[in-house]
Amino acid sequence: MTARRSGVSAAARPAAWLAGFAIAFSMLPGIAAPSPAFDFTAEEKRRILRHGPWPPASAPDPSNRVSGKPDAIAFGRALFFDARLSLSGAVSCATCHAPDRAWTDGLPRSRGRRTVDRNALSLFNLRFNRWFGWDGAQDTLWAQNLRPLLDRREMGIGPGGAARLVHADRRLSCGYRRAFGEAPGADDERVFVDLGKALASFLETQVTGRTPFDDFRDALARGDAAGQARYPAAARRGLRLFIGRGNCAFCHFGPAFTNGEFADAGVPHFVEPGRVDPGRLGGIRKLRRSPYTLLGAFNDDAQRSTAAKTRYVRLRQSNFGEFRVPGLRNAALTAPYMHAGSLGTLADVVRHYSTIDEDRLHAGGERILRRLDLSARERADLVAFLETLTEKGPRREVATKPADAACR
Amino acid sequence: MARRRLAGPALAAALALVLTAGQAAACPPPQGWAGAGSIAGELWSAWWRPEPAPIPVGDHFSVRFHLCGPPVGRVQVRGWMPDHRHGMNYRPAVTLNGASGTAEGLLFHMPGRWQLILDVRGAAGREKLVGETVPE
Repeated sequence: MTARRSGVSAAARPAAWLAGFAIAFSMLPGIAAPSPAFDFTAEEKRRILRHGPWPPASAPDPSNRVSGKPDAIAFGRALFFDARLSLSGAVSCATCHAPDRAWTDGLPRSRGRRTVDRNALSLFNLRFNRWFGWDGAQDTLWAQNLRPLLDRREMGIGPGGAARLVHADRRLSCGYRRAFGEAPGADDERVFVDLGKALASFLETQVTGRTPFDDFRDALARGDAAGQARYPAAARRGLRLFIGRGNCAFCHFGPAFTNGEFADAGVPHFVEPGRVDPGRLGGIRKLRRSPYTLLGAFNDDAQRSTAAKTRYVRLRQSNFGEFRVPGLRNAALTAPYMHAGSLGTLADVVRHYSTIDEDRLHAGGERILRRLDLSARERADLVAFLETLTEKGPRREVATKPADAACR
Repeated sequence: MARRRLAGPALAAALALVLTAGQAAACPPPQGWAGAGSIAGELWSAWWRPEPAPIPVGDHFSVRFHLCGPPVGRVQVRGWMPDHRHGMNYRPAVTLNGASGTAEGLLFHMPGRWQLILDVRGAAGREKLVGETVPE
């Protein structure tokens, strides 16, 4: 819709002229043209603005007493790259979450000591999550960090092995002392959980940077026509689909482009013949059995101020086959996609949703995902929009002092 | 089942007075509840207000409610998204004190139109009171 068709006041005519010029300019082959800027309805603008501002405000995690502490961040960083935390001594967190691969491994299903059932989620923007892991079996980032240390297919060192390592290694012991203000104690499980908390402090720093979409969104918020016009036309068309007919923004909601919950996306649940991945159904059951939750003894927040989700979460049969709704920031860098890496590119993901087989959904009567039958251009527009959620400039891992600088 | 869409505090209050005529006994909102939502049923009518207000998408909130009508035995509170045919992923806990109560642990995880449902039971019967709201 052009500004002229929607009716233009005298005051807006220069802007309409600019938009018309931009459309004509964009038709010239090989020229990256500025976009016409004034074609979103008031309702569309309202929906777009809800995806920002970025980054949102954040605060330390009250369940983790070292959240945000520089010494804990440095200690956590050292732990993240330390392969001695695996039974084999050859697998670190970075094996599946490589910083130069946007904190993923590029594999459909990750390989620690053995191949696991799921794709390695990227580690961007974890501090804004409500639940952790594809099935949300953990309710804190620190508990999520314990999971691969417990799973013998991944690292599997366990509480005893981890505590022994920290006690025996001078630099790890020093790092622990600096992070937690005391030497590692005799309670192996407490030391083990604290490693998860130091790792969480490090991972909390991995917040994605500003994107072309953020520049557009903020320009829209302040009525900056020139700023809006810099956003590519294809991305804007894709954005309109995203917030409108595509129904994407019901689940990919808010500044992080996720509502933090779980959905059946209609991809196969079979891990291998005869074995299915139960997804969220299994995740809630694991959560309820785990000692490492916000309702347990390792929560550093005596008030349990963030524990409502864990206290009130509801288990339903329709949770079967649901997996987390991932955030979309930097999604273009984190292929392959879906919980078992079954889709190789963003174009594949868009095509999947466009042609989704509604009969495969275990949605219990839900009516959100619908076959859209998008045209090739519409699918390309959606991909163009998703690519504008990639942060600008090269990604830097994180600027912290070396973990052992004070412990030599 | 009674359904009422609320368009604003003043309108809601006015509507409540009109819509409850001939149904459950109308009652004024509790003191300090200006702007609260109302739902009128056959047996009971309810005043309700969320905390925080307006209801945020994707954050936990609680609902305080006050019921007018016969004695109340039990109240369950839930959310429902009629356009999508799904409810909440959380089961709120209700604390009831006479005709007033609080539901803790609600979370509307999607934008759009939601129903807030109070399932009220007492010796007089059972009734589902349905209010509508759009979280922001």
